[in-house]
Formats: sequence, structure tokens, C-alpha cells
Amino acid sequence: MADTTAISATAPMSRSKLASLLVGVAIVLTALQYLGFLPAALHRLPEAFVPDFARYLDAFFNFVKDDLGLFTLTRWLTGLLQTVLDTTANLLFGKRRWPNLGPIPWTAIAASMAVLGYYLGGWKMAALVAVTFCWTALVGQWKIAMETMSVLVVAAPTAFIIGLSLGIAAWKSPAFDRTLKPILSVLQTLPFFTYLLPAVIFFKVGPTAGAVATTIYAIPPMILMTTLGLQKVSPEVVEAGHMSGCTKFQLLRHVYLPSARTEILVGVNQVIMLCLAMVVLTAFIGMPGLGAKLLAMMGSFKLGRSFEIGVTIVLLAVTLDRMSKAWVVKQPEHFERGTPWWKRHIMFLLALGAFVFFCIVAQFVDVASEIGRKQSLSVGKELDVGIKWFLNIEWVKAITYFLRAFVNVQILIPFRNFLLSIPTPAFILLITAFALWLGGRRQAVTALIFFSLVALSGWWDRSVITLYSVISAVSIAMLLGLPIAIVAARTEKWSQRLLLVCDTAQTFPSFVYLIPAIMLFGITDIAVIFSILIFAMVPLIRYTIEGLRTVPPEVIEAAEMSGATRMQKLVNVELPLALPTMAVGFNQAIMFAFFMVIIAAFIGTQDLGQELQRTLAGTDLGKNFVLGICVSLMALTFDLTILKWSSDRKRMLGLEE
Amino acid sequence: MKRSTTALAAGILAALPMAGFAADSSDPIVIPIHNWSSQIVMSNVVGQILEGMGNNVEYVTTDSQAVYESVRLGDVTLEMEVWEGAFGASFRAAMEKGGIVDVGDHNAVTREDWWYPMWTKDACPGLPSWEALNDCAAVFATAETGDKGRYLDGPVDWLKHGKERVDALGMDFVVINAGSAAALWAEIGAAEADKKPVVVFNWTPNFAEAVWPGEFVEFPEWVDGCDKDPSVGPNPDALYDCGNPAKGYMKKAAWEGMEEKWPAAYAVLEQISFTNPQIAEMAKMVDIDEMEPEEAAEEWLAANKDVWMGWTQ
Amino acid sequence: MTTDAPVISAKNVWKLFGSAPEAYLKGMKPEMSFDEIRADGYIAGVKDVSIEVSRGEMLVIMGLSGSGKSTLVRCFSRLHEITGGTIEVEGQDIMSLSEKELIELRRNKMGMVFQSFGLLPHRTVLDNVAFPLEMRGQDKHARRERALEVIKLVGLEGREDYFPRELSGGQQQRVGIARSLAIEPDIWFLDEPFSALDPLIRREMQDEFLRLQQLLNKTIVFITHDFDEALRLADRIAIMKDGAVEQCDTPDQIVLHPATEYVRKFTEEIDKARVVHASTLLEPGLSGEGDPVDAAASVQSLAKLLIQDTRVAIPVAKDGTVIGAISRETALGILVGTD
Repeated sequence: MADTTAISATAPMSRSKLASLLVGVAIVLTALQYLGFLPAALHRLPEAFVPDFARYLDAFFNFVKDDLGLFTLTRWLTGLLQTVLDTTANLLFGKRRWPNLGPIPWTAIAASMAVLGYYLGGWKMAALVAVTFCWTALVGQWKIAMETMSVLVVAAPTAFIIGLSLGIAAWKSPAFDRTLKPILSVLQTLPFFTYLLPAVIFFKVGPTAGAVATTIYAIPPMILMTTLGLQKVSPEVVEAGHMSGCTKFQLLRHVYLPSARTEILVGVNQVIMLCLAMVVLTAFIGMPGLGAKLLAMMGSFKLGRSFEIGVTIVLLAVTLDRMSKAWVVKQPEHFERGTPWWKRHIMFLLALGAFVFFCIVAQFVDVASEIGRKQSLSVGKELDVGIKWFLNIEWVKAITYFLRAFVNVQILIPFRNFLLSIPTPAFILLITAFALWLGGRRQAVTALIFFSLVALSGWWDRSVITLYSVISAVSIAMLLGLPIAIVAARTEKWSQRLLLVCDTAQTFPSFVYLIPAIMLFGITDIAVIFSILIFAMVPLIRYTIEGLRTVPPEVIEAAEMSGATRMQKLVNVELPLALPTMAVGFNQAIMFAFFMVIIAAFIGTQDLGQELQRTLAGTDLGKNFVLGICVSLMALTFDLTILKWSSDRKRMLGLEE
Repeated sequence: MKRSTTALAAGILAALPMAGFAADSSDPIVIPIHNWSSQIVMSNVVGQILEGMGNNVEYVTTDSQAVYESVRLGDVTLEMEVWEGAFGASFRAAMEKGGIVDVGDHNAVTREDWWYPMWTKDACPGLPSWEALNDCAAVFATAETGDKGRYLDGPVDWLKHGKERVDALGMDFVVINAGSAAALWAEIGAAEADKKPVVVFNWTPNFAEAVWPGEFVEFPEWVDGCDKDPSVGPNPDALYDCGNPAKGYMKKAAWEGMEEKWPAAYAVLEQISFTNPQIAEMAKMVDIDEMEPEEAAEEWLAANKDVWMGWTQ
Repeated sequence: MTTDAPVISAKNVWKLFGSAPEAYLKGMKPEMSFDEIRADGYIAGVKDVSIEVSRGEMLVIMGLSGSGKSTLVRCFSRLHEITGGTIEVEGQDIMSLSEKELIELRRNKMGMVFQSFGLLPHRTVLDNVAFPLEMRGQDKHARRERALEVIKLVGLEGREDYFPRELSGGQQQRVGIARSLAIEPDIWFLDEPFSALDPLIRREMQDEFLRLQQLLNKTIVFITHDFDEALRLADRIAIMKDGAVEQCDTPDQIVLHPATEYVRKFTEEIDKARVVHASTLLEPGLSGEGDPVDAAASVQSLAKLLIQDTRVAIPVAKDGTVIGAISRETALGILVGTD
């Protein structure tokens, strides 16, 4: 074709020129397709050219699994893990295993945790802890919550230890760091369904597989935070360590790790949050607990009860989050010399006292030990009525009908069909142009390779539909979220409130949204996009607020002194300066959307998520991986490009620290 | 709860003539739990019977398709509900690989097909005949489907061939696939408020019958080969031109090592057979009466001694 | 070992930063300037430095930021590996030490104080001070005792259980000083110890430091970018620029006879009368009569006498013995700054 020769003829070309050229070629290709001149092989990769990645991978997995004896190893590990999990399970919910002491009465756990809360964050924290645990017990979810916790208390420390060790190794050895970095990027963008299947195959269905999948999912941020923290240790402190005659190990143990405490604890916080998010999702592979109950409740259409479980999960997440954050900022306190031992350890003694006290009380008072279904205060049925009432309000119905009839039929579906009609090479060129224009040559090459791989995987149409859902949801999220965030960012009070809403929305287990989405919009694209939207809006709002509120005050004052109106100030000063930060939010919105679109397969989609979900029921490791990698590659393309733009922009504005 | 289990155990022990069985292993019998209530309660009922006999029992939550692989490997000991339509394929595949055994049928039969809640009949009085359904296709139209009716089929991976049937029988319907069972209920639930007519994929036994009374659409009766031979069924040129079998089996399955390891338990499992009304009742106890599955199982055992005592003889 | 053998002796020390500094140094033409080296992609942190520090001496290394003074002192303690030359500490080539020997050396002979204190934030004052003792495995009781001793020495009694963040900057640096003294080092490195402090506190800490030095009499390498501080404290001053030592001499000599243009510019603004002592101005062959002045007296302190006195030559006495005489005119010249 004429255009292709033009590219090679004019070798050095500006980025934007080259990008528009790529777009031009793509348009020509698409036009040819519409006119019917394009050979079919250029529209979609012919089946015959699709390498059977799934089969290669399967062969590889089988080789590793059986011939290299990985299976024997993992099954041995499973036994080990099972023992640990059985112990926590016995203590927390009384599974009949060693040490046969449990279950610990709920009052004892709640009381000692409340004391811990007080120690970490004062009365407010203690109250939050108490409310969370009492709520859990009173709505009759104590046992299932403890089933979840029994895995969490194993998975989170394991993820912590592995993450910390790998983080240290990566910091010590740049070569190891270079190998680890890309693996971590892929792991962080891989859909969680892809973690689940190998976990089941190698670690047996049930809590062991759940614990393994959860652990692996939570490791990457721990590694990153550890490396970051260690790199940030002040060189003088390190030199002081050297001059104090530290050996290498002493230096790590006494100087580096304590000095990187803050970052490491932030890592711990992220580990806990990811574990909690994942431990719910592992219900798909037979993890008992809150997630499994939630799925069962949804399966029998009990909205109120699933909502209650969602609230429990949010409360637990918020409590653990706040507690670990309080731990991050908690500084050691000194006691005057001569303080007696009991006074120094007053909190520990109080917690222990409360624990023992309630353990004894529980022997005599049943309610203190366990709250059965009949004593519980669940309002599931009432909530059901409430939700159904809301959905039946006339104006709600009118709005949803309009959205269905107009947005879905007139906009979304045509948009999807249009995306699907673009020939594969044109689509890849468009994405490449986007990466080139925003990121640079390197990003463009990456995009080209990644999307070509997606095309080669043979799942192109499903990938495009996945991308369509992501793009639509993120666009709508921007239309709705940005104005809200801009308005809220005007005052500190509203910023805080909105951020709280965001936190809550984010920790609410994602699939609770699905049922209301279906009831509102039926099984349509708009229901899918609606449920992604809730998730995608959160980072957009958060980073927009952060970006706007961290614009240097001198700059704003300078604008005010120049006589700028509020609007002028916003458009000319605040938004340009906040844009790089907002871009990070935009990027996260895309990542969240990719995450959620996979879950939305529950509603009924024709994308990668639906295929992924299907693989869960079988033993198709190869296909499972190919699908997961497709999602990961698309997500990474955006991730790399947008983050590059953001950091370039920040450097340009001199905002980099 | 613990106390009542113990009492129950004592009752069973008294009733059981234990002699004659070799002693069961003290390892736990692992019973899988899925995400629909009748199966959960039934598993708990069976679990409590086995516990009463002195076995250790544990429950794991698993995917209802993946479970057959787990049974094969012995990670899971048995499976109480093998539906012909839904899990027949996975079950047969596992049987071919070996490691899993067929422990016989329940008395209950299963049926899966197009279904509608009763209120739909008001808008389309000719039901349940499929021709009548087709005549009032417009009643089922939505914003997306234009003037065609909308039929909500099960998830694609359930392979229910709704689309093929619509084509084979020349129906004015668009087939949409739900992503999960929960999505099906949400649709019915949303339609319930203003009694909007809907036709969706459904099966029996199922809790939904108790929540939303309804009927299956009567398609041309199933003939063997309808899914393989185009000439079978009313349309000579198409597959899937009949309804699904109205009486599918529901089996019990077990790990092949179970008989040797827990002979007594295996003998009981062979005896167990639930009927459709019993299964529906179990589902109702959880789905309508809001009981916890364990409590529902206890209650069912207490109320139906005459049924299950026989199995343990 | 005799007392006059140098404690630290550096010969032709080079420290280059870059991708392959050793190879570069080997192939490098002599007399390359800092900028020429930089053009080749290397930074000369320390450039051909030869310097000796004798026992009990306080050498102040002085220079603007980036002049290589911190790098040099880190070479002395082998916090940096040098690229070329040799450094001997008490006659031992420190580059030949194994890691274990190096750790031993630091655990027993060297102490260092840092500009931003380098305290471990998670440890109390006591635990920070006891840290080097802990590292060398001293038992808990002994190290506590010793730590309390040095804490008292730096005037922080009663704050033992505080955490660094609970202390002011001056107090934090006292902790840093205490820590560096805990192991009773012979050699004491101080890397701009008072630069991060307010001027008033700085002055106070300098006094404190002089008091300690009188008490302990350590061999000291002190780094500063503050010339006044250098003049106050130093036995000798080494002035560095672009990694090289421009001049290394007593304060008097540096002020009176700057070796290079750079040093001259540096000393220009200095009130020489304050720095130059009578002993420095002794002129051979000159002898005076009447009451002698003290050899350690600065010209400034003699101002009144110099103006009122009419003698051409004024005798100078050290410890009561006349050791020579100074020319009043020369001294007056320094006083009024016409020199």
C-alpha cells in the first residue's frame, strides 16, 4: 500500500506526525473494510495462523507438574499448610483439629481486639473495632467471618514474609530486581481468576488453595514497598551503622529494616487489604467463609443478606485498614525510669485480662460464646423489601428505561459494533499511535508487541469487547466523577467526606453490586458498565481531589492576585498542575476497570472474563493462562503509557520530588 | 447446636446395628458444598447422618463443575447431586478418566428448560405450549430486542442451546445469556414488582419454585438423538428442535477409594435416595424460612426419622 | 609506635566516580583537570590527595559543598573504597584489610559524627549510644553503664529513654557525639557536625566540642564549610577544591600566606588580626626590649598595646621565656588590614 512505503521513506519524524500517520493508515484500512475491499485475512487473523498457545502452555505445565515433580512438592506443601490452617481454624471457629481448644468465644476476641484498637488509635479506634466485631456477631456472621479470618491470619503473614524476603533480595541484587520487576507488573495486572485455577490444581480445592491464591495475590506490593523503603534509608544512618561496626546482617537487621519501618508497614497494610479482597473472591474455588456465603446468598436471590455480608466485609476491611495505618504512624513512647513492669505493659495486660475474663464468662453464658441464627439481629428480609421498593419507584424505572433504550441501544451497542468492525491491524495501529503520542517510541513498540500478541492468542473479538467495556466505563466515570471531584475539592470537609465514600465503595465486595445492576438494567451491556463504573470512579475521584488539593498555595495565591475568577483559576492554574496526578488516577481507573470487567462476567458478557470463568470449572490451565495474559497485556499497555506520560509531565512541571 | 448433634448421634447409634460393617477410617469424609441451597442442606443431612455413625465429616465449598476432578483425586469424597443436564458432561468426563464411581440415582428427577413465572400467563394465556409462547413473542420484547421476544438463557458454558432451538423452531426470540444463576434470579426478581412477563432458563428441583411459582414451557417432546440427528424432531433439517428431557437423572457419585476406606458410610450412601418434594422442602427451609443450612438439616432429620432411618439399616 | 608517627597517612589518594574508575585512572594522563575528567564521564571526588594527621591533632577539612571533603573523610574510614593511592591508619594499609578486620577497626578505633546525625529513629537515646557496643557484642550491663557515662559527658542525663524525634537538633547531635565516643575511639571523624544547627546552638556546640577535646585529646578530622568554625577549632586546616587539597597548613599561615588564588579569595574577608598569633609573626634576627607579649595572643587581642606602644620590636614569650620578637609595624599592618 502507498502509505506503508511513506513510513520508511521519511525516517526521522516527530512523534505526533508519526502517530497521525498511523491513525491515517488505520482509517484507510477500516474504510476499505467497510467498502468490502479488504481481504478477510487483514480483517481478522485467520484461524490457521493462530498458534495454539494454550496447548503449548498445557504441555509445559504438565511437564513442570508431573515430570519435574512440582506436583509432589506442592502437595507436600499443601499438607504443611493444611496443618497450619487447621490450627487457626480450630482456634477461630472450632474445626475439630489440633489443638482442639476453639472456638474462642467471640466476646473474648472482640474485647481483646478493642483493647488493641485503643492502644493503636485511642477511643475512636477501640469503638470502631468493637462495633465491627459486635456487628459481625450480632447479625449472625461470626462463624463465617472467622472462617475467612482463619485463612487471612495465615495468608497475610506468609505474604508478608515472602514479600519482605523477595524485596530485600531485589534491593540487594539489581539483576534480580530487573528480572522481578516485569513479573510483578504482569502479576499485578493478571485477572484474579488466573490465580485461582493453578492454586486449585496444585494446592487442592478448599482453604489451602484459597490461602495460596490469596498469598500470591498480596505479595507484589509488599515486595515493592520493601524495596522502596530500603532504598530510601538515609545514607548517613547507613554510614553510622557501618561506623558502629555492623556486620552485613547486623546492618540489615538493626539499621535498614527498622529505618524502613514506615514503608514496610504501608506494605503490610496493602497486604492485609489485598488479602481481604482476595479471600472473598476465593469463594470461587471453595474457600468457605464470607465470600462463599455471599455467593450462596446471591445464588438464592437474598439481596438483603448479601448486602449484610457486604457490610461486614467493609467493616472488617476498614477496621483492619485503620488499625494497620495507625500502627504505621504509631511511634514508640518512652516511660520515665522506674515505671513498674505492669505499667509499661498495661495494654497487654488489659487485653489479656479481657480475653481471659470473657473466655470464662462464655463458659456460663451461651450468648457470650456463640450467637446462633435465631438470636441474631439480621434484617435481611427487611432489606430485601427495601431494595425491591427502591427499584420499583416510578422515576427510578423511568431513568433506567431511558438509559436502556437510549444509552445502551443508541450509543453503547453501536460503539461496540464499530470497535468490532475495525480490522485487527488497524486496531493495533490505533493503540500504537495512542501509546506513541502519549508515551513515546518505547511505549509504542511495547503496545505494538503486546496487542499483536493478543491478536495472535486467537481471542481477539473477546479482547475487543473487554476493552470496549473498559473504555466505555472509564469514559462515563470521567464524565460523572471529575465534576463531582472538582466541586468537592473546593473544601477540605467535602473532600474528606467524598474520600470516605470512595473508600467504602472500594472495599464493598465487588460482586454485591452485580445484582442491583442487573435488577436496574437487566442483563445488558449497561449493567456491566454500571458495575465497572462504580469501581472506576473511585480512583478518578480520589486522585483528582489529591491533585487539586496539592497544587502549591503560592501558585493559587499568585493567580488570585492576578485577578483570576474561580473558573479561570481552575482552568488555567489548578487543572494543568493537577493533571499528572489525575492521570495516575485515570490509569488506576483503567486497571480497576480491567479487574471488574472480569467479575462482571457474572452478569453475562461475551468477553474474556466469561471465558476465564468457564476455565475455572475445568483443568484447562493453558487456556486459563492465555486469557489471563491477554487481559494483562492490554492493561499493561495502558499502564506503561499513561504512567510514562504522567512522570514526563511531572518532570516538565517541576513537580517531581 | 452442638448439644442437639450429640443427641442425634446417640439416637443413631442406638438405632444402628453396627455389627457387620468393617470399621470406617477416622479420616474425615470430605463433602462438597455448592452454591445452591438444596445441595447444601442435603449435604449437611448426609453429613450429619454419617457423623451420627461415628465418622468425621468435613465440608468444603467447591465449584459444581470442578468438583468431579476433586472427587477423582480423592480431595473430596462424594457428591450428592449429579444432575444429568447440568453436570452430566463433567461427570462422564471424570468417569472416563477414572477415580470416580457412580453410587446410584436418587428417586428425584430433574428437568431444565424454558420457564416462566405464573404471572406471565396473564399476558400470554396460551402457555405453556411453545407455539402460544411464540405467538405472544412481542410481549417479551425489551428495548434492546426490538419487536422480538427476549429469552434469558443460562450461562454460555451450561451449553443449553437456546439459540439453536430458536432457529430450529423458527421462533421470534432473541437469546441472551446470563452470566450466572444469580443473574437469572435478578431478572425474575426485577420483573416481579410489576409482573412483567419474562421467560428464562430454569430447572427443578430448585428454590425458585417456592419463591416464584411457575411452569416450564412445553416444547416438542424430547426424543433420543434430537441433539445429534437433524431428522429427529419436528424440523427435519435442524438439531435441538425438541425440549429437554423432562425426567433427567440425579445421581450420587463418590471417590473410588471410599468404599474401602469408609465401608459403612459407603453402604449408607448407596441406600440414600431423596425425592423431589424432599429436596424442594430442604431448599425452602433455607431460602424461605431463612434457616442456616446446618439448622435446616437438623430440623429435617428430626422431622423425617422414618425416611432416613431406613437407609442406615 | 612512636607518638610522632602520623595516625592517618594518605598518599596520592584518588576517588573517581564512574563506570570503570580503576581502569580509567590507570590509563589517565597525569595533570588532568577536574573538568577534563568530568568530560570523560567521571567525577573526581578525591583528586590526588596526600595528607597526614598526627596524634592528638585536629585537622579541619574545609571547602564548599561538592569540593570532596566528605568523600575524603569517608575514604579515611573506608566507607568509600578508594580508586588509587594508599591510606594508612596507624601504620596499617586500610585497603588491605579484610571485611572482618575493617569491622574490628571501626568497632575499636574509629568514631564518626554525621551532619544530619544519622540516629536510628526506633531506638532510645540510650540504645542509640549503646548501638556500637551492642554491635561488638558487649553484654547488656556493661554497655548500659558505658552509654550512661558518655551520655553524661555530653550533658544529656535524664534523657536516656527519649526517642530522637523527642529531642531538639542540638540534643540529637549530642546523641550522635555520644554514640561516636561510646567505644572510646582513637580517631574521631566529624562530618559537618554542626551545620544543621542554628547559629546560636552551633556556637554553643563548638564550645562544648572544645571542652570535650581538651578532656579526651583525640585525633580528629573535622569537616566544615564554615571558615570561622575552622579557624576556631583547627590545629591545621586543609582547604579543598574540586577534590584536591589546595593548601594544608595552620590557620595563621593560611591567612598570611595563601598558597593559591582560590585560598586567597577565601581568606580575603577574614579578619586576620583575629587569626594570626604573635608566635606566627616572630621575625628572625629581631629582638625587643621591655615587657613581652604572650606567644598565643592574637594580634587583635594586642591591638591596644600595638597602637599605644612605641617600640619597633616587641618581645614574645612562651611559658615565661622570651622566644623572639615581632615587628610592631607588621603587626599593625595586620591589624588595620593593609597587609
